[in-house]
Amino acid sequence: MLEVKLHDIGEGMTEGEIVQYLVKVGDRIKTDQPLVEVQTDKMIAELSSPCSGVVTKIVINPGETVQVGTSLIYIKADNNSEAKQPTQTEENHNPYIKAILPSEKSGKSSLNTFHRVLATPYTRKIARDNNISIDDVRASDLSGRVSEEDVYRFLKSEQVENEPIAEVQQITIKKETPDEIPFRGIRKKIAQKMTKSLFTIPHVTHFDEVNMSNLFKIREQLKASGESISVSAFLIKALVISLKDFPIFNAELDEENDLILLKKNYHIGLATNTDNGLLVPVIHDSDKKSIREINEQVKWLTKKAKAGKLKPFEMQHSTFTMSNVGPLGSTGATPIINYPETAIIAFHKTKKQPIVNDQDEIVIGHIMTLSMAFDHRVADGATAVAFTNRFASLIEHPHKLMMEMI
Amino acid sequence: MTTHLIESNEKNETTKQMTMIQAINDGMRIMLEEDNRTIILGEDIGKNGGVFRATEGLQEKFGNDRVVDTPLSEAGIIGTSIGLAVNGFRPVVEIQFLGFIYPAYEQIMTHVSRIRTRSMSHFTVPMVIRAPYGAGIRAPEIHSDSTEILFTHMPGIKVVCPSSPYDAKGLLIAAMEDPDPVLVLETMRNYRSKREEVPVGKYTVEIGKGKIVREGTDVTLIAWGAMVTIAEKAAEQAVQQGISCEIIDLRTLYPIDRDILSQSVQKTTRAVIVHEAHNTGGLGNDIISIINDTSFLYLRAPIERVTGFDVPVPFFSLEEHYLPTPARVLKGIEKVVHF
Repeated sequence: MLEVKLHDIGEGMTEGEIVQYLVKVGDRIKTDQPLVEVQTDKMIAELSSPCSGVVTKIVINPGETVQVGTSLIYIKADNNSEAKQPTQTEENHNPYIKAILPSEKSGKSSLNTFHRVLATPYTRKIARDNNISIDDVRASDLSGRVSEEDVYRFLKSEQVENEPIAEVQQITIKKETPDEIPFRGIRKKIAQKMTKSLFTIPHVTHFDEVNMSNLFKIREQLKASGESISVSAFLIKALVISLKDFPIFNAELDEENDLILLKKNYHIGLATNTDNGLLVPVIHDSDKKSIREINEQVKWLTKKAKAGKLKPFEMQHSTFTMSNVGPLGSTGATPIINYPETAIIAFHKTKKQPIVNDQDEIVIGHIMTLSMAFDHRVADGATAVAFTNRFASLIEHPHKLMMEMI
Repeated sequence: MTTHLIESNEKNETTKQMTMIQAINDGMRIMLEEDNRTIILGEDIGKNGGVFRATEGLQEKFGNDRVVDTPLSEAGIIGTSIGLAVNGFRPVVEIQFLGFIYPAYEQIMTHVSRIRTRSMSHFTVPMVIRAPYGAGIRAPEIHSDSTEILFTHMPGIKVVCPSSPYDAKGLLIAAMEDPDPVLVLETMRNYRSKREEVPVGKYTVEIGKGKIVREGTDVTLIAWGAMVTIAEKAAEQAVQQGISCEIIDLRTLYPIDRDILSQSVQKTTRAVIVHEAHNTGGLGNDIISIINDTSFLYLRAPIERVTGFDVPVPFFSLEEHYLPTPARVLKGIEKVVHF
């Protein structure tokens, strides 16, 4: 008998929501056959079967959110040699799949063994005697061990919460029950990431305008020749070139070792709005790709993001993030850096505006505003402005862009 | 100084200052006088009065039919005693040192402990085996073993281990009156180390009952034999740190007094077991199991053991390093209190 547990798919995830099972009890399955879809913080992932055999039991219902390590499915594995039985070494590699001995009770295996509260029996007794779950008590000690004092403190806080405040309650205020949205999954992950970034990095944002007129002309010419390239693809290329000139913005601050790590890869994260929230697919090695290749990849990844089908590696290792909110509107923002990167750039709506050209004539130009936020610990305003100046000149004069291409 | 509840059968009886060896001698004298089925056997116990003088003067008083000098054959002594016991006598055997009992081990394990079961209680073996044991008196090799666990493991034999003159006499008389075999382990270190008031008449200390020798609130020290004194010294030192130790003298090693253990540990919520026997497979493990079974939810810290090391008891120059010391016990106390 094999037990398939929810495992960390590679993002340090701690929990996931069961979306649907792709098999049912009694089904005969093959090795690596997808068994279940799990909604993680960022995507829907499929867990596949470690062996061939027959599904004997499905433990968790779809819709439930469970901790990593929770058993989901039991499989009666085939005994033939082809079956991928967990050997001793395999078990070491993958602690989430383990053979169940006949003496073990399957009913208990759904208990999460990874987040056991550390507490002495006496502390547990106090909690039990007071009818509270020790899991609800937070440890004040750095070791994570819940102490008796923690339990007493918890009890006290519970009492305070439960104490009726008579005078206030006499005033009848019509209470509307708010609609409740569970705060979890991608939404919660976004919240955690944003909070961490904003509380860690001193953000400075500056704004600039870019004249898109020349770029639009080139796009039209390309369109006429049958090639449709999105503005994003040009923006990414110009960003990569600018980042090479100002590597401080393609960097990461290693606070532990007091080092600024200048990255040699140019993986551009593309903040993407989806029905489930903000996702950031990554165009890896953007510096080694042509504008056309970038364009294709942007299209492909955006589509996958909206379908919730991004693979973990497609969202990992970005070195710089851009957010193109132009299609939605807005003229400025204070974007939050995608921690631990050092900068982020947001592109806003392009508007037709009268501008004065080099010949002092008033002409109609296409002006896009941008907002660039950077980590003021590692870079200063002047460098950031120089960076956006370089970027703007590449976009405003696309022939310069061409000069920089490999 | 430890105070004792007088458990004498004849209350208001006069008492006398006695050492443990005197109390043991006194116990045997009383039973020889009272019960003519009583017969003492052992090597050099007659004219010589025994290697520790426990039987001094008894042969002179009761004759060599009742206080018998035997050949140097432990298996023979025990074997003879089994025959005497099942035929109505009440033999009390002295083994010179517990470490010399091994030749008789086969007799004890296959016959002494089993005859009641084997005969479906038609026969019992009402005999007592006295054996001095333990390190700390600078004896040669084999003389200092503390192998009580070899006997507590086998059902059918009771094992008692007094630490004081009062308990020594009371437990010995209780053992001699017991219808089943009792092994009395006498810690040599305490034979003459202290005197206390002991009733001169007959009294018993109930087998299977431990004793609180010091009351405390923070940690329970569990000891027997010579280690009770070590635990008391450690408890004195712990007071300076504001730690209050309760000390249990287990007194009977089989069957163990589960109630006294659970009541004390549930009160103090911590336990340190002190024994001079080897750590591995030592009786401390059984005590941990009992506490686990009865008082697990009361524990504030894992139970600590302070024991002899897993080596044969070394020669005298290293003996003190082998035995638990008050300092080592104090460390154990600190460990459980500051867990």
